[in-house]
Amino acid sequence: DLLQWPQISKCRSPEMETFSCYWTAGNFYNLTVPRILQLLYKKSNEEDWKECPDYITSGQNSCYFNASYTSVWTPYCVQLASKNEVYDKKCFSVDEIVLPDPPVHLNWTLLNTSQTGIHGDIQVRWDPPPTADVRKGWITLEYELQYKEVNETKWKELKPRLSTMVPLYSLKTARDYEIRIRSRQRTSEKFGEFSEILYVSFSQIGIGCDHCTEEVEFPWFLVVVFGVCGLAVTVISIMLSKQPRLKMLIFPPVPVPKIKGIDPDLLKKGKLDEVNSILACHDSYKTQLYNDDLWVEFIELDIEDPDEKNRASDTDRLLSEDHLKSHSCLGAKDDDSGRASCCEPDIPETDFSASDTCDATSDSDQFKKATEKEEDLLCLDRQDNDESLPSLANTEPQRQHRNTQSENSHLWAPFGDSDESPRPSVHTQISNQNSLTSTDFYAQVSDITPAGRVVLSPGQKSKLGRAQHEGCTEQNFNMDNTYFCEADVKKCIAVTSHEENEPHVQEQSYNEDGYFTTESLTTTVANLRASTAAPPSSEMPVADYTSIHIVHSPQGLVLNATALPVPDKEFNVSCGYVSTDQLNKIMP
Amino acid sequence: MSAKGASLKGLLLVVLLVSHMLLTKEGVTSLPICPNGSVNCQLSLEELFDRAVKLSHYIHFLSSEMFNEFDERYAQGRGFIAKAVNSCHTASLTTPEDKEQAQQIHHEDLLNLILGVLRSWNDPLVHLASEVQRIKEAPETILWKAVEIEEQNKRLLEGMEKIVGRVHSGEVENDIYTPWDGLPSLQLADEDSRLFAFYNLLHCLRRDSHKIDNYLKVLKCRLIHDNNC
Repeated sequence: DLLQWPQISKCRSPEMETFSCYWTAGNFYNLTVPRILQLLYKKSNEEDWKECPDYITSGQNSCYFNASYTSVWTPYCVQLASKNEVYDKKCFSVDEIVLPDPPVHLNWTLLNTSQTGIHGDIQVRWDPPPTADVRKGWITLEYELQYKEVNETKWKELKPRLSTMVPLYSLKTARDYEIRIRSRQRTSEKFGEFSEILYVSFSQIGIGCDHCTEEVEFPWFLVVVFGVCGLAVTVISIMLSKQPRLKMLIFPPVPVPKIKGIDPDLLKKGKLDEVNSILACHDSYKTQLYNDDLWVEFIELDIEDPDEKNRASDTDRLLSEDHLKSHSCLGAKDDDSGRASCCEPDIPETDFSASDTCDATSDSDQFKKATEKEEDLLCLDRQDNDESLPSLANTEPQRQHRNTQSENSHLWAPFGDSDESPRPSVHTQISNQNSLTSTDFYAQVSDITPAGRVVLSPGQKSKLGRAQHEGCTEQNFNMDNTYFCEADVKKCIAVTSHEENEPHVQEQSYNEDGYFTTESLTTTVANLRASTAAPPSSEMPVADYTSIHIVHSPQGLVLNATALPVPDKEFNVSCGYVSTDQLNKIMP
Repeated sequence: MSAKGASLKGLLLVVLLVSHMLLTKEGVTSLPICPNGSVNCQLSLEELFDRAVKLSHYIHFLSSEMFNEFDERYAQGRGFIAKAVNSCHTASLTTPEDKEQAQQIHHEDLLNLILGVLRSWNDPLVHLASEVQRIKEAPETILWKAVEIEEQNKRLLEGMEKIVGRVHSGEVENDIYTPWDGLPSLQLADEDSRLFAFYNLLHCLRRDSHKIDNYLKVLKCRLIHDNNC
């Protein structure tokens, strides 16, 4: 065996009024002459070591210091020594070595039992250790209760608390329990000894339920497993579902940076030249082209329709002819209307290659100087237009057809090569026509219907105010066309309102804001027809504006087609919209 | 901006809730404040004592933990304990050293003593909070506790002055005070000596906070509950 020196095992104060030190003698005695061990102590403010005053009270190998020898917050040092040798030394202060005695007088009472009688609640009570003077507040104790079933090995612990009673809930009445309690000073870490064990037996008080069936425990495992599976299935189904709204609700899309007018697909597909041109438009040309014209200011179409973005790229390719650089009103108008329209890909008519229109700035300036009129840029000079209109609207189907043809060639490059020579004049006429009829080429978008249609607000009142009266009557208001411009209707409405003074038309006509609903337009058109006594047409236009559905490049534009059959005559491509059927006629 | 503001508010609310929970856990719950909240508001003496005891217990708890952490971190293997301590700067104040003395001392004297000890610790706590940050790689918990103890000590001092104002029949003695001159030892160049100075100071703090906690409990049981806590 190893030689063990005598050592001080611990020093302890149960109530902060006295303290005792205990030591082990070791196996020293067996080897040498028995020596007498002494415990010496010293307070910090003293010089001499004194001997233990009481070796007996605390038992063998102990030293007991009673209240007169105890100063609580004074540092002590004790050492275990024999005559010449010091075997062990410890320094402490009494407040650090407080380990209270165990509580006494444990008892329990029944609080209540469950309806089935299988479980019961009890209240456990005890008294603080008698040595601790809790009543005068000299020491504050907290208690920890532990309990377990009789045949279990592991104790369950409750949180330490200050009170001397605690309820235990939901104990099984069929089983017996053991309870034990220990205490400690409130700010210490170490607990004192455990109290005696308290036995709880429900059968003793006659409510034991030995023959009760065991309650099925809650199947936590199954619940968790099924819950997780269900959640996984739900998540997967949401992710795979085609319902965009539900998907967006639960997995909201992360916003990615977007530059207006640039389709991210452009970048992916590598059409960098178009992207560059669009970017160039944004940066450098916008300020140059800004003028007082209200048309310019308001042209901001923010339709985030991916189809329309595609349209931009495709129609750029379509309209890559150089002749578009000439001083067409249309071209100028494109330049005018801020770069927004130039770079806004959602207006189909403006789909010249962006670089062309941007480069055509100088053209627009020259044109400006030429005309000396702001409005001429937009070709809103009604005089010219009206003169040209009758010419266009006259019964020269060929010419008009040709015009429209060439105009179509405007829009769709593959078709336009046949009209080389008359192009300039036709150009202006077409542009005039376009300018008149397509003063709504560029329009302030007042609203977007939930169905995805764009409603353009009526044009400038001043300019419309100059609308010629004859423009309405003479204009071949082609009812057969599925589309007609709002401005056309408006002018006619203005005319008819003057003539007819129909109140409901009037109020519709000066509806600057919001919608021209289909019904209102159709009624006004009906009124128009009634007033102007135009040849009745069986067909009523249904839609006023339609969003572009697909761009079949390079064949053209496919609009949300309505089911109206298009008569087989020249069609007035007003506003530049073409229906599917018209398109089919054009395409080879 | 409103979303940003809302998220900031939410964050602030969460921080407040968490800090309140933490404080509640430590036992420093907010007792009901005066309904009027003005000059006329008078807390009862029982409530004042309740608050004082809670504060003193909290301070002692923090000091104890701080000392233990410091001991674990810096004092192992340096034999600080063996050098055994402890001439605390408040040793000159004669405070009751056992239960008998605590029973016999008059409550006004005891209150004055408590005030004296608290005042004597004002200065050291301020410097402790600042100097402990210079300890190499001091854990965040120690730093935080030092600041917290200093703050709570001030609050306890205010509370005690209120209690003394209520309880005292005669004039209030303000001359119980011990100056502290341990600042240079906290700023020694030698790391060992400096750490030993901290160890000492923290040990003294733990002891004195325990003393004050005890005295206040004794007073509370004596004055409020008539020795029947």
